[in-house]
Amino acid sequence: MLQVFDVIKRYDGRAVVNRVSFEVQPGEIFALLGPNGAGKTTLIRMIMDILKPDAGSITLDRRPIGVETKAKMAYLPEERGLYRNVKVQEALSYYGQLKGLKVTDANRAALGLLERVGLKETANQQVKALSKGMQQKVQLCTALIGDPTLLVLDEPFSGLDPINVQLFEDVLQERRAAGATVLLSTHQMNKVEELCDRALMINRGHMVLYGSVRDIRQRYAGHAVRVRARDLPTNIAGVSSITAMNGEHELTLASGTAPTAVLRALLDRGVEVESFTRAALPLEDIFVRVVQEGIGLDGGESGPPTVDQPVGSGVAR
Amino acid sequence: MTISFPRALTIARREYLTTIRRKWFLLTLVLTPLYFGGVMGLSMKSQVDEQLRSLRNFGTLGVVDSSGQFRKGRSEIRTEVTADDNPFEAANAAARTATDTTASAHVIFSGVRRYPGQPEGQQALRTGEIQQLLVIPADYLSTGKLRRYMMHSSLFSSADDRPVSRWLVQALLAGTVDSTRVERANGPTRSMALYTLSHAGQFELNDSRRELFDFMLSFILGMLLSMCIVIGGQYLLQGVAEEKESRILESLLCTVTPEDLMIGKLIGLGGAALTLVGAWVLMGLMISTPAAVIVRAQVTPPLLLAMLAYLLLGFLFYASLMTGIGAITNNMREAQQFAFAFTFANFIPFILMTKILAHPDSSLAIALSMFPPTAASSMMLRLTSSAAVVPGWQVALSLTIMVLAAIGALLAAARVFRVGLLMYGKTPTLPEIVRWVRQG
Repeated sequence: MLQVFDVIKRYDGRAVVNRVSFEVQPGEIFALLGPNGAGKTTLIRMIMDILKPDAGSITLDRRPIGVETKAKMAYLPEERGLYRNVKVQEALSYYGQLKGLKVTDANRAALGLLERVGLKETANQQVKALSKGMQQKVQLCTALIGDPTLLVLDEPFSGLDPINVQLFEDVLQERRAAGATVLLSTHQMNKVEELCDRALMINRGHMVLYGSVRDIRQRYAGHAVRVRARDLPTNIAGVSSITAMNGEHELTLASGTAPTAVLRALLDRGVEVESFTRAALPLEDIFVRVVQEGIGLDGGESGPPTVDQPVGSGVAR
Repeated sequence: MTISFPRALTIARREYLTTIRRKWFLLTLVLTPLYFGGVMGLSMKSQVDEQLRSLRNFGTLGVVDSSGQFRKGRSEIRTEVTADDNPFEAANAAARTATDTTASAHVIFSGVRRYPGQPEGQQALRTGEIQQLLVIPADYLSTGKLRRYMMHSSLFSSADDRPVSRWLVQALLAGTVDSTRVERANGPTRSMALYTLSHAGQFELNDSRRELFDFMLSFILGMLLSMCIVIGGQYLLQGVAEEKESRILESLLCTVTPEDLMIGKLIGLGGAALTLVGAWVLMGLMISTPAAVIVRAQVTPPLLLAMLAYLLLGFLFYASLMTGIGAITNNMREAQQFAFAFTFANFIPFILMTKILAHPDSSLAIALSMFPPTAASSMMLRLTSSAAVVPGWQVALSLTIMVLAAIGALLAAARVFRVGLLMYGKTPTLPEIVRWVRQG
C-alpha cells in the first residue's frame, strides 16, 4: 500500500505541493489528476524518491520510500527515453539488473515481457530500429520488469493507436489482478472513468478532489436523471426539459422535484422504464469546472486530509 | 550519499562495456598513437632530411676576403655528419649491428672559390657557379660582421652555418697554431663531460640521452594524465548529457539513486578511459623499453606508485567535476564549453613546463604541485625530472591535498548531480550551483 501523508515541496519559498495526503491500496488503479503545472510530476518524483519532500512522509507497504523500496517501484515518465544503440532485450535486461535481478533472470524476464507486448521477435534488434509505438511498448516493459508492487504511469496512452491503448489497459488490469498498486496520471478522463477505482485531483499543489471516481461523479451530478424507456411522454410533472442522447433521455428536474417523484410519475403513467439513474457529469466536465472555478483552493474547515482519517469523496478540505 | 554498490557496479559494467565496444573506441585506440607517432616521426624525419640535404647540397662556397685575414684558408671544407645530425640513420645502424664498430660518421666535402670583389662573386652566384657567397669586410677583425649571399633561403638554411664556421676558424688560425688547436677551436666543448648530483646523492656522469628520456617520460606521463582527463571527462560529459537530453535519466532515477548513477558512471567510463590510455602506455612501453634499457632509465617502484596515485587522484578530481558539469548543462555543446574552462587548468603546468623542469624546486613548481587542479601534472613533471630531488614531505602533503580534493569534488559533484539531473531548459548560475553544494 502506498501512503502519502501531508507532503509539502517548496521551490524558492513557493509550495508546489502543499500538504497532500492520500493512499493507494494493493490491487487498485488510482488516478492522479490535475491541470498542467498543478504539481503532479513533482508529487510523482517524490513518490519515486527522485526528489525529497520538505515535509511529510511517503511509505510503501509501511516502509519509508528510499533505497530499499526502489526495487519494488517502477515509473513510466511522460517524457520517455531509451538507450537507442543497444538491443531491445539488452536494454530491458539492464533495467531488470538494476532492480536486483540476476543477468539470466533479467534476460528471461525481458523476453517474457516482450512476448506479452508482441515484440518478442524484436529482442535482438536495436532500439533505434523500432517504430515510436514499439518503443513505447518497450518503455512499458522497462517499468514492468522485476514485477514492481508500485507502478506509476504518467500519460501512458499518449501517442498510442487504439490497439496498443487496449494492450496497455489489459496489462494494467493484469497488474491490478496480481495485486500491484497502480498510480495513473493522465489527462484522458475517459480512461480514468474506465480504469480507475479512485482519484485525487490537485490544483496549484493543493488537493481539490479525492475519492472514488463514482462518488466524485455523483457529487457533481446535475439536477437531472437519465432514463431508458419506451414511449417516454414529453410532458412529465416536475421535469423542465428532456434531451435525447444515445438511446436515453436526460430529464432536467424542476427545482424542488425529487428524482423518486419523477420515477413514480412515470410508472404511474404505465411507462416501461428499463433504466433510471441519476445523471452524472463526465469527469472531464468536473475537471474543467473544478479548475476554472478554483474549487477546493480556499482551504476549507477540516484541515489537511489524513491517511488515518481518509478524506472520502467530494471536495477535499 | 546513499550508494548501493551492486547497482553502481551494474551501471559501471554497462557503461564500460558499451563504451569499449563502440567502433570509435577501437579506432581511437589504434589510430591515435599511429597518427601522433606518424605525424611526429614524419615531421622529424623530414626536418632531418632537409638539414642533411642542405649540407649535402652545400656545393661550392664563394669567398670575397677584403680583410686579408683568410688568405690561408683551404679550398675545401670537410664536414662530418654525426649521429646527432641523423638520429634515424644512427638508430638504423644500431639495429643492423650493435657490434659494428666500423659504423662511423661520414664526411661531406665542399669546395671554396675566391673572388676579387662582391660583383664578381654575385655574378658567379647568379650563374650557379657557386651556391653561396661569403663577403668578409676589411674591418672584420674589429667588428666581426660578415655578409652571406644565397639565391634562396629556407628554415633549414642554418644547417649550412657549420661548414662556413669551420672554414672561417680554420682559415683565420691557419699558420698561427697547429691543426689540433684548430680542431679544438672548432668545437672546444664538444667532448665536455657533465657530472650532476644524482637522486642517490652521488655526482654521476650526466647522460644527455637519459636526460632526454627523463624529460620525455615526465612529459608523456603528464600528457597521459591529461588525455585520461580529457577522454574520460568527455565520456562522462557525453554519458550524462546524452542521458539527460534523451530523458532516460528520469526512469533510471526511480530505480537507482543519483549517487549510484554517478559512481557507476565514474567507474565505468573512467575505466574505459584508463583502458584506452593503459593500452597506449603498453604500446609505448613495448617501443621504448629497449631505449630505456640503453639509457639506464631509473624508474623505481616508489616513483611508479607515486605517479599511479597522482594519475588516479587527478583523474577522480577532474572526472567528478565533469560529471557535475554534465548534470547541470542541457546539451553536449554547453557541457563542452564548461568543461574546457576546467580542463585548461590541468594544462597550465605544460605551459610552464620549461620553468618547472629548469627549476623543479622553485616556489612556483612547489605551489603548482600543491594546488589540486595542477598538482598531478606538476608533480609528475617534477618527480621524473632528473634535476629535482622532491622532498618526501612535499609528495606526502601534495598527495593528502589531492585525496581531500578528490573526495571534496566527489561530494560536491554528487550534490550538484542530484539537483541538476532533473533541471531542464535553464543552465544554473554559479551562485545557484554553490547553493546546491552547500545545501545538498
